[in-house]
Amino acid sequence: MFVFALAAGGAAVAAETPVWDIEQLMQGLSKVPAAKGKFVERKYLAMLTAPLDSSGTLVYTAPGRLEKNTLAPKPERLVLDQDKLTLEYPDRGQRRVLALQNYPVVWAFVESIRSTLAGDYQTLNRFYRASVAGGEEQWRLSLKPVDPKMQAVVQEIRIGGSHNRVRTIEILETQGDRSVMTITEDGP
Amino acid sequence: MTMARASRWAIALWAGALVGCAIVIARTEFTADMSAFLPRSPTPVQQILVQQLRDGVVSRLILIAVDGGTPAALAQTSMRMAAELRKHPAEFAAVNNGEDSALDLDREFLWRNRYLLSPAVAPGHFSAPALRDALEENLQLIGSPAGALLRRILPQDPTGELLRLIAQFEGVARPEVREGVWFSPDGSRALLVAQTRAAGYDIDAQERALNLIRAAFAGGGAAATSAGQQLLVSGPGVFSVNSRARIKADALRFSVIATALVAGLLLVLYRSPRVLLLGLVPVASGVLAGVAAVSIGFGTVHGITLGFGVTLIGEAVDYAIYLFTQITPGTPPADSLAQIWPTLRLGLLTSICGFAAMLLSGFPGLGQLGLFSIAGLVAAVLVTRFVLPVLLPPGFTVRAATGLGPGVTALAASARRLRWPLIAVTVVCIMLLSAQRSQLWSDDLASLSPIAASERTLDEQLRRDIGAPDVRYLVVVDAADADAALAGSEKVAAHLDAAVAQSRLAGFESPAAYLPSSAAQRARQAAIPAPAVLRENLREAQRGLPFRAGLFEPFVRDAAAAATQAPLQRASLDGTALALKVDSLLVKRTASATTAGGWTAMLPLRGVVDAAALERDLKNPSDHAGVLIDLRRESDALYQSYRSEIVTYSLIGAVAIVLLLLVSLRSLRRVAAVLSPLAAAVIVTLCLLLASGNALTIFHIVGLLLVVAVGSNYALFFEREAADAGQRERTLVSLLFANVTTLIGFGLLAFSKVPLLHAIGGTVAIGAFLSLVFSAVLIGRPRAALARPA
Repeated sequence: MFVFALAAGGAAVAAETPVWDIEQLMQGLSKVPAAKGKFVERKYLAMLTAPLDSSGTLVYTAPGRLEKNTLAPKPERLVLDQDKLTLEYPDRGQRRVLALQNYPVVWAFVESIRSTLAGDYQTLNRFYRASVAGGEEQWRLSLKPVDPKMQAVVQEIRIGGSHNRVRTIEILETQGDRSVMTITEDGP
Repeated sequence: MTMARASRWAIALWAGALVGCAIVIARTEFTADMSAFLPRSPTPVQQILVQQLRDGVVSRLILIAVDGGTPAALAQTSMRMAAELRKHPAEFAAVNNGEDSALDLDREFLWRNRYLLSPAVAPGHFSAPALRDALEENLQLIGSPAGALLRRILPQDPTGELLRLIAQFEGVARPEVREGVWFSPDGSRALLVAQTRAAGYDIDAQERALNLIRAAFAGGGAAATSAGQQLLVSGPGVFSVNSRARIKADALRFSVIATALVAGLLLVLYRSPRVLLLGLVPVASGVLAGVAAVSIGFGTVHGITLGFGVTLIGEAVDYAIYLFTQITPGTPPADSLAQIWPTLRLGLLTSICGFAAMLLSGFPGLGQLGLFSIAGLVAAVLVTRFVLPVLLPPGFTVRAATGLGPGVTALAASARRLRWPLIAVTVVCIMLLSAQRSQLWSDDLASLSPIAASERTLDEQLRRDIGAPDVRYLVVVDAADADAALAGSEKVAAHLDAAVAQSRLAGFESPAAYLPSSAAQRARQAAIPAPAVLRENLREAQRGLPFRAGLFEPFVRDAAAAATQAPLQRASLDGTALALKVDSLLVKRTASATTAGGWTAMLPLRGVVDAAALERDLKNPSDHAGVLIDLRRESDALYQSYRSEIVTYSLIGAVAIVLLLLVSLRSLRRVAAVLSPLAAAVIVTLCLLLASGNALTIFHIVGLLLVVAVGSNYALFFEREAADAGQRERTLVSLLFANVTTLIGFGLLAFSKVPLLHAIGGTVAIGAFLSLVFSAVLIGRPRAALARPA
């Protein structure tokens, strides 16, 4: 079982609160200043005869920077910083910078992960109807897109975790494709 | 009785001419076309630019900004306005505010025609190895955040032509999108661009469009205003509408004030309503004749010409003042007139020399002012000479305010004492001017523009916001037809692509990117393999990759359809924002005296590192396709040539005045006496203009020429030998009042917000006043010499 704690300190959620809810989940997540870990991702795509596996590292710096370095099968680097997404494909010498405002669907995608990591409930609400199930020990955040364009692509994004750590990200697309990412945090 | 008959003829001719003028004026079209004040005979390239400004797509764009309030509220207003304006397709060809609906049409066009548009489609592009590379790349890309979207189109577009096209257009600056609509980079303004159907010079249509825009903004009523939102509009059409309104207001207001002041002066001077009415007869006749002459000569009358008409009120009334003041009891008006007629005529001729220089200049606008003034002055003088004496009742005398006479005479006599101080001041001014020689001139073509500086600033701001940076360099391709111009653009683009690859150029736009030449389209169609071949290539490329068999069958179908589809035409772009691009980059040239008709393609360049090297590339004689234009250099050159032209014509005008004086006065000494106060006035006026922070424009030169033309009247009267002390006194008084009326006319123009009127008005008002004073100082005679010399 992989355990990925995004918080170095692992600040505890206030124990005196009787009912644990999404606001508290977000508040806990928002206290994480930075995190680093490894990921393994498996994509089940209808157009392929076999699942697509990839792995690499993730680096998050509060509040707005997220870096995804895919090492296998081919190097790929994604850097999300503020409102810019940089895509780099080193072995092809390609680099593209996208202004997220011009790509609403891509923006919604990356915000599902970044806003969750940042505990930014307000931004999350702009793109998704969010609900949480489970408890503090083992929670599952369900995100359903509000924008019709995004709805046409994504059915639901499920993020699972424990306390203020994210462990899994599952993306269910409308046409049956899905991907599951599992995250392991580097030792403190 | 021949006298009476001649008088009747004069009256009949005059009345007939007035009716004729009225008929012409009633049919006259009044314009506020800004290009009238742009060069008339520039190089072909400049002509294209001027034509673009007049009726090209550029002239039809209205930039709209809404600011004040939260981004969400601004976006709401933007969407509401766009929806409202799109309900008026008769007025607006397009309304863009960055909403997806408009963008979708563009994407749809690119998607449907990707194989004809993509420059990558060439022989070998769909071979098995090339497809293999593309598929391997795709395998990686479909896993990225954009992968979900890519997977949608991958079966139809495995070689990524759509993404290639979008990336190609991405470098082109465009506004940022917030809340789903265009915003300025700082997020303070929502931006819209409306394209009118009517050309920019069609001011009535532009005004209708502007009113619709204002109504669409106000449509939200309380919502928009309570949020403190503010509407800003700019663009050539807006300038025209505003200028027309401003000129209209200026012309009306200044005419009313000038008429009231001149009438008041006449009343004070002669204390007779009848004299007042008689005094205005030459003025009214002159204005009518001036407008009618411009209408006949130019086809239309520019609003600025009417504004300039104010000066004629002040000028034309002078002739009546000279006449009235010279009338003495017991002498018939015609005889009094005969005494001053030679001087009056010479004054008129010198004025005509001055205005003729404007008539000959390259500005259609200035030409109108020149013709207007010449026709107006000639009419006013003729009416004063032949009609006014007839209208005066027998035994008419005017009681001029004689109280002024002695004082004025004494003042004039003592003015002589200032002779040396004036010479000293003039010498100092000459020294100052020569010290500042290098910075006398404003080098900005914009200084000629009748557009107010604040409007220009707003326009620049909105253009920056909208992501349309000022274009400095562009490559121009001339051809006989549109398709040849597009083919030429493709040749140029090959050179430019090489320059981009070598980092000598950041990027460029080309109309052929949106509408390739028919040859390029045919070549791309020919590069698409037959379906059976393409399937075989795909099968080979897919070997060992996890893509499902038959996945790319839609691609085979689309490629086959593209290979046989009808080539794209300009009409294929209708409804997209790309149509606007093509129309602004590919324009039809109307034939003119200097250029044949045809088509011109323009390729604006971004981030030019080495313009000289680019120019050399393009000049390569093997395929002479395009010419690199440096717009700043062009506009500087244009301004220089303009300025030297005006200076030349002004010098010719000045020389003509000197020759005229020589012929009339037949004495070098007398000519020198007349010219010396004028020269001093021009020099001191120049110094005053510079001291008050003006950089000289060509309008100031025109103003200085008019100082000589108008001021020579004063000098001539001063220089003229008076019959007796009484006549001299009357002359002085009439000169004083003539000067005051001139100051009223030109001085009022100095308050105009139209730069041309402001510059000419201010210069002539200062210069004319100085001419009179300096004439008194330099030509005035001592009291003892007033009597006719023996």
